[in-house]
Amino acid sequence: MANDPTYAHPEVLVSTEWVEKNRSQTDKYRIVESDEDVLLYSTGHIPEAVKIDWINDLNDPVVRDYIDGDRFAELCAKHGISNDTTVVFYGDKSNWWACYAMWVFKLNGHDKCLIMDGGRKKWVDEMKPIAKETPKYPAATYTPAAKNPAIRAFKDQVLSHMKAKKPMIDVRSPQEFSGERTHMAEYPQEGVLRGGHIPGAKNVPWAKSVAENGTFKPRPELEKLYLSEAGLKPGDDVVAYCRIGERSSHTWFVLTYLLGFEQVKNYDGSWTEWGNSVGAPIEKTYKPG
Amino acid sequence: MDMSSTLAEIIETFQSVDADTRLDLLLDYANNLPALPEKYRDEAVRDLGRIHECMTPVFLFMEKDAGNLRIYAEVAQEAPTVRGFVSILVSAFDGQPCQDAATAPADLLKLLGLDGQIRMNRAVGLSAILGRVKKAAA
Repeated sequence: MANDPTYAHPEVLVSTEWVEKNRSQTDKYRIVESDEDVLLYSTGHIPEAVKIDWINDLNDPVVRDYIDGDRFAELCAKHGISNDTTVVFYGDKSNWWACYAMWVFKLNGHDKCLIMDGGRKKWVDEMKPIAKETPKYPAATYTPAAKNPAIRAFKDQVLSHMKAKKPMIDVRSPQEFSGERTHMAEYPQEGVLRGGHIPGAKNVPWAKSVAENGTFKPRPELEKLYLSEAGLKPGDDVVAYCRIGERSSHTWFVLTYLLGFEQVKNYDGSWTEWGNSVGAPIEKTYKPG
Repeated sequence: MDMSSTLAEIIETFQSVDADTRLDLLLDYANNLPALPEKYRDEAVRDLGRIHECMTPVFLFMEKDAGNLRIYAEVAQEAPTVRGFVSILVSAFDGQPCQDAATAPADLLKLLGLDGQIRMNRAVGLSAILGRVKKAAA
């Protein structure tokens, strides 16, 4: 079922071949496409797949937070996902958004989650079946489960984490990490007041964990990145963050399921919260020259 | 509002429908983006028109032809949202007086009612595209 049996939890990763073989078992599995581009699903998708959009489905439109347990249950029920359904996520950008959607499912206590290695691109490149029609499934019954707070970090927790000198992985680009880039072109009002990173964080841009074809790199290469180079040690309590918590959920997946770290938290407030917060210290390595 | 009638019509159409239909409309535009003319297809030439603010490859060329603007573009199939937006600009401004594009509202995405559904990083790229078109037409 998995590609690299040496991963800590190879059972969480399935191949495109596995999905092709099992996709018709819609009573057992629900394939979910989660993309950055809100229209991509409509251009064609795995025939059995439903779409879950990170902005329109998973985020609360008013509170800066995810939808609550009741609305999460509604969303699942609508797509025919019951508490027992195994959800198989895939998406664009090397599964960036698929990992994010999976993180929100795990946060809501949905345990049975898989990722299709290589994501949408690999499926399309292999010329596997694509359909434009949205499949309809009978509504399921979904009972809100207990939340799983262990995978989410809030700012105060990150502050204590930082003071305790515990490891943090900043998954943004080197320019964002150094503080060279503080806001995006033409959008100063949506940027961050200060550039830099949380003191003590190590910079490992998220995409370094994926190979050219969009699949996750083999375990030895991941160990080189996160252990040899970023200095994580087995058993570490780790916080991952980015700008708004989506790229870092990809790294959360890699650290948790591929490398076997048992205490990884995604700090979804990330730099847009920390960089703007009163009293939050930063480190800036960029020197304007 | 002072804007070209073609653009005003497009905006009116987008504003008259619900959010899901708006996305369908955008997808129609994405599917109808004309191909880049031969003379811009050579890779070295094409790269001169790259919009670097966009995360996905977007190539944009503008020409002025007797006071009218010509716009040619290529956008990856994997980025239908960007393709759709670019295609709207082409529909609204290609072959029209430069003045139309030059005076286009900077908050076009919002006027089309798409700002709520398109994530910020993407919006930055779209705003850069519009900025490039306006500048070329000015």
